[in-house]
Amino acid sequence: MAGTSDLDRQIEQLRRCEYIKEAEVKALCAKAREILVEESNVQRVDAPVTICGDIHGQFYDLKELFKVGGDVPDANYLFMGDFVDRGFYSVETFLLLLALKVRYPDRITLIRGNHESRQITQVYGFYDECLRKYGSVNVWRYCTEIFDYLSLSSLIEDKIFCVHGGLSPSINTLDQIRVIDRKQEVPHDGAMCDLMWSDPEDIDGWGLSPRGAGYLFGGDVVAQFSSTNSIDLIARAHQLVMEGYKHMFNDTLVTVWSAPNYCYRCGNVAAILELDEHLNKNFKIFEAAPQDQRGVPAKKPAPDYFL
Amino acid sequence: EQSLYPVAVLIDELKHEDIQLRLNSIRRLSTIAVALGPERTRNELIPFLNESIDDEDEVLVALAEELGGFVEYVGGLEYAPVLLGPLETLATVEETLVRDKSVEALNKVSRQVPVAHLLEHLVPLVLRLQANDWFTSRISACGLFAAAYGEQPRLPSSPLLSPQPTSLSAPLSAEIRASFTQLCHDDTPMVRRAAASNLGSRQLAQPHGRLPRPLVGPPLGLFLQVRLLAVENCVGVGQLLSVSANQAVVLPIVRSVSQDRSWRVRRDPAEIQPISSRAPAELQPRSSRDPAEIHRSREGDPEAEVRTAAAVKLAAFSRMLAPELVVSQILPAVAELCSDGSQHVRASLASDIMGLAPLVGKGATIETLLPLFLQLLKDEFPEAAPPHPARSRPRSAVRLNLIGALPAVNALLGVELLATALLPAIEELAEDRQWRVRLAVVDCMPPLAAQLGVAFFEEKLCAMCVRWLQDCVYTIRESAIANVRKLTELFGLEWAAAHLIPKATRTRTPTPTPHHTHPPHTARRALSTVSSLATVVGSDVLYGSLLPAVLGMVSDAVPNVRFNVAKTLQMLVPLLEPGLVASQVKPKLLELSEDHDKDVQYFAQRALACCG
Repeated sequence: MAGTSDLDRQIEQLRRCEYIKEAEVKALCAKAREILVEESNVQRVDAPVTICGDIHGQFYDLKELFKVGGDVPDANYLFMGDFVDRGFYSVETFLLLLALKVRYPDRITLIRGNHESRQITQVYGFYDECLRKYGSVNVWRYCTEIFDYLSLSSLIEDKIFCVHGGLSPSINTLDQIRVIDRKQEVPHDGAMCDLMWSDPEDIDGWGLSPRGAGYLFGGDVVAQFSSTNSIDLIARAHQLVMEGYKHMFNDTLVTVWSAPNYCYRCGNVAAILELDEHLNKNFKIFEAAPQDQRGVPAKKPAPDYFL
Repeated sequence: EQSLYPVAVLIDELKHEDIQLRLNSIRRLSTIAVALGPERTRNELIPFLNESIDDEDEVLVALAEELGGFVEYVGGLEYAPVLLGPLETLATVEETLVRDKSVEALNKVSRQVPVAHLLEHLVPLVLRLQANDWFTSRISACGLFAAAYGEQPRLPSSPLLSPQPTSLSAPLSAEIRASFTQLCHDDTPMVRRAAASNLGSRQLAQPHGRLPRPLVGPPLGLFLQVRLLAVENCVGVGQLLSVSANQAVVLPIVRSVSQDRSWRVRRDPAEIQPISSRAPAELQPRSSRDPAEIHRSREGDPEAEVRTAAAVKLAAFSRMLAPELVVSQILPAVAELCSDGSQHVRASLASDIMGLAPLVGKGATIETLLPLFLQLLKDEFPEAAPPHPARSRPRSAVRLNLIGALPAVNALLGVELLATALLPAIEELAEDRQWRVRLAVVDCMPPLAAQLGVAFFEEKLCAMCVRWLQDCVYTIRESAIANVRKLTELFGLEWAAAHLIPKATRTRTPTPTPHHTHPPHTARRALSTVSSLATVVGSDVLYGSLLPAVLGMVSDAVPNVRFNVAKTLQMLVPLLEPGLVASQVKPKLLELSEDHDKDVQYFAQRALACCG
């Protein structure tokens, strides 16, 4: 098991917020692809599991999340996308989660968010961070290729449907999600785009989204979708909630947000949703890691092209 | 002749057009000097260098650096003064780097020079620089007064080392001081800044703690930087002076500084005061009231930063005062700080307040400090605005800082008072909403338990320790488990087996708590407890309760529990009898190695490999 001990070392390194070598990223992504390609667009997940929302490169707050919820593999996790962009440590955050996924594929599930995209990451920081930390865009390229393989949604014990954004007017059944060919850049419209971009809203039916992609969907849409697919709850992320989580539509939908003090300035708390093996819900609230727990952004080694 | 050829090249290159070559040859100046011999060095090389000071700054920096170590090449100490000529010229140029280097070199040379020479050459040099029209040379002069006073530590190798301190004649030393005073009043702020940063040197405080007038008088000017430097130097001066001199000289400065317009200047006396009021035994009560009053005025300062600095230095400062003064002057101010509007002030106070307890004695502690302590323990950090990102602290910083001091407080108050006064607060904090506060309480349990003894602990705190084992936050459960082990070590196995271990390894939790946890956590927590305890308990407990508890979870529905069973068994195997391993443990591990979950298989196989 030379591969396992190597991987364990990389995980330890990433847990200290030190990024791994470019060649190691390439190998890690190759292994991750083998695992992710086998996953369904609606990946089955067993309880107990802890559901987490957006992380956005806030590495030390992700560590705080693990301090509260327990480490992998002792606890099982489902991350609903938006691992990268905006925070200072997108590289370390995504690679840690990916390494954990490769090491414990059954203990952690990663699904795709709207920021797991080539276009978005070029604007919101991940691209620049890769370039700054590695001196080339290769790592960004490896990671964005892996983004294309991330599952679109999850189904916990056939009862809780988890997706980054929300529902789509072109989708009525889970089977319609299952047949999407997901191995592509996030499109500008259509079912795959809507799953990652839509937001719930107190309206009837469907509305135009101010985000310019996806739709707004109302309580009746959720009720219809839930009864058609016999699910109890839709869990999603995608929107900042100051209290960490927010129920809507008579507790048939919940937003979970896991980036405390979002962008290091919003002052919000974060939440994770812990489900026991009987799907009993338990929200855990946590705050941003205190200053003394945070590293200073590391002095970058000189990129290769300077040598 | 052959061997001199390279030297001739070097000498030629001193005048070369290419700066790089000139620089190289300056760097080899000592080689040239050795080749020329001391006499020619003095008569030819040094005058030549004197002429060539019109060069690039880069070359001049190198030249100043070389000349600093040149005493031996000009024929020893006797002839050292010839070096002062070129260095003086270098000290007047415009470029700061060159001047700094030449001042450094002058100091280096003068450290080796006998006193007589010093009076003859260095003092006039300094006075010349000070009187120069152009401010750059006056800045250089500031760095040389110490040397001119002749009290620099001398190199032990110096053969002409004079055993006595310098005896400058009274008029001469007065002249030096007067000239330094002029620099302190210079029109150019940069000169005043240089003067201020040299105030702290010992020489200027001599003799008998006489300082240049401007230091004692009003501050050194309008420029913040200058005043900050002056304050910094008071610390240095204060350390050198006697108590009475401090009272006479430094204290007035501290007082004027503590009224300064800028909060950054007002904040700094926190550093000075412990020094200025050193040796409390020698202080008369009346005179020592002064620093106390200054400190009080700073505790009431409008700027939070100043109050924070005052709070941080509280105990260190109070240690200098008579106990009555602490009670009458400091404690009332502390009470005000306790309800300060700024969380940073309160947090700083919290980390230091209990340092006062040993100073004021038990009576005042109970009467005054304890209520304040309890008030801070309830501090909620009511903040409307989100924490400032640059200096965000946990909102519970006040309480966190206090909890660390709990064992120390207990040592002072004794068990009785703790039970009545602090226990309710501890119980409240043990259920605090902030998990880091709970964690801090968890972490201070073992030292507290050690002080309180087994009976008190069992009655008042044991239940709390068991509750933390079921906390919803993973890190707290981990710490609580570590505590079980520490308490077992502390109170003995017998006690633990009766009171703690059964509860800690129980896999069902009947009573929900505010921060309750769900069953898989309970099972995993029980397993972690077993791992943590296994090496400290004897075989009775191991075979009687721990092992059966672990084996009972082999067919748990949750895979995480099952692979933790495998991990725990792997850890137990070396502690168990081989026979028992073969009959009880191995079959279960074989069962687990066929599990449908890959992680369970993996950890079971790893454990099996350890069974041999």
